[in-house]
Amino acid sequence: MKNRLRVLRAERDWSQADLAERLEVSRQSVNAIETGKFDPSLPLAFKLARLFETTIEEIFSDEE
Amino acid sequence: MICSIKNPAARRFVVRMWVAAGLCVVFAVLAALVFRLGHPHGVVAYLVAVLPALPIMGALVGTGVYLGEEKDEFQRNLLVQSLLGGTGVTLAATTAWGYMEDFARAPHLSLTWVYPAFWLFAGISYGVVWWRYR
Repeated sequence: MKNRLRVLRAERDWSQADLAERLEVSRQSVNAIETGKFDPSLPLAFKLARLFETTIEEIFSDEE
Repeated sequence: MICSIKNPAARRFVVRMWVAAGLCVVFAVLAALVFRLGHPHGVVAYLVAVLPALPIMGALVGTGVYLGEEKDEFQRNLLVQSLLGGTGVTLAATTAWGYMEDFARAPHLSLTWVYPAFWLFAGISYGVVWWRYR
């Protein structure tokens, strides 16, 4: 699943570790989600959307 | 080493595993001494012999508890895939060895090796799964 995490993160000047700390997950988790290798659960997707003050659809798209 | 693990659930998991491994060694030595010096028979012999397996059962329960406690779904996913890999390879290897014992007279392998083999294969599996997600 494609996502805009890297862009959203860069806009806030956050590292993967910064985002991981805010989400209370490991940096590897953020990397796996960002590179599209791991799709987050709905609760984690909502958490991301709240953190970036946007909607899940604005972060993730179901294009392969 | 344990103190450097930031994730509290993972830290508790590692501590539980070390405690279980330590108890397993202590109980194995204890059981060996009892059999060497006391020559127990019947039900007592079975109870003493099963002692080293109790911490192993505890470690397996501890692994299940960790999976329940771990809040990081990606880390949980890594461990679940590794455990499945470890289980599959252990089942395949032990079944293959069993047939080799039955048909080709391969040397008998004690079933006590199944548990360490499972963690060895699960560890290798963890490395492979982690590499895929890197």
